[in-house]
Amino acid sequence: MEYVAYALVIFVILTGIATALLRDVLAAIIVFAAYSLGMALLYTLLLAPDVGLTEAVIGAGVTTILLLLTIVKTVRPGGERTFERLDPRAALACGALAVVFGLTLPDLPAVGDPNSPILSYDAVTGHYLTQSYAETGVENTVTAVLAAYRGFDTFGEATVVFAAGVAVLVVLRREVFT
Amino acid sequence: MVNDILLGAAAVFVVLVIVVLYRAVRGPTMQDRVLAVNVIGTNTVVILALLSAALDVPYFLDIALVYALLNFLMAVAISKFTVERGGVM
Repeated sequence: MEYVAYALVIFVILTGIATALLRDVLAAIIVFAAYSLGMALLYTLLLAPDVGLTEAVIGAGVTTILLLLTIVKTVRPGGERTFERLDPRAALACGALAVVFGLTLPDLPAVGDPNSPILSYDAVTGHYLTQSYAETGVENTVTAVLAAYRGFDTFGEATVVFAAGVAVLVVLRREVFT
Repeated sequence: MVNDILLGAAAVFVVLVIVVLYRAVRGPTMQDRVLAVNVIGTNTVVILALLSAALDVPYFLDIALVYALLNFLMAVAISKFTVERGGVM
């Protein structure tokens, strides 16, 4: 189990670096699809299959097609080099940022740790787990929180996405997406 | 015992995926990359099926099915894009 997870993490990191460094945008999009597949597999391994499913559909499916549509008007870079030349200062900044984020990892509670904040404050977690069906009538607790308890927030997000779509249509002077 | 063998096989498949990634990154042609990503996707389906059997969670198989469909869609979209620059669907 751990070995599968370790190998997957290595795969995801490699695809992430390759996506950033590839010169050809189309190649980067293809490798990014592989990154999404690895990420979705990792989510599924951590027993979050719904998140993994969403990552696969959005990351590997929809995003790939949207990115392909985006680069239609661009041209392929010439030359023989596969990778972009690395800017040492930018690489150093990225590496430092990764180290800083990595330093916070040991402070995270282990998966399933009973002393983790989310499980020890039972007044909050327990309330949603036991009462969400009675209060909202939704069987899945995550869906209940997303669609009922923070319904206005989700509504706001949907409004933002809709506004963005309308704005794109206005900029392109079109009436429908084709 | 059987679970360990299945998990070990899943780990080997993930290592294979990393090996195939070399072809996806290096190319040299776009067809190589499309095929490599397709192989990675197929391996993902196999890994999911192995995990489903090893951890005894049958609904992983549903996700494996969705992956198989998506994988096909992705390969078709990218292939079409490389042939007639711009047409995706």
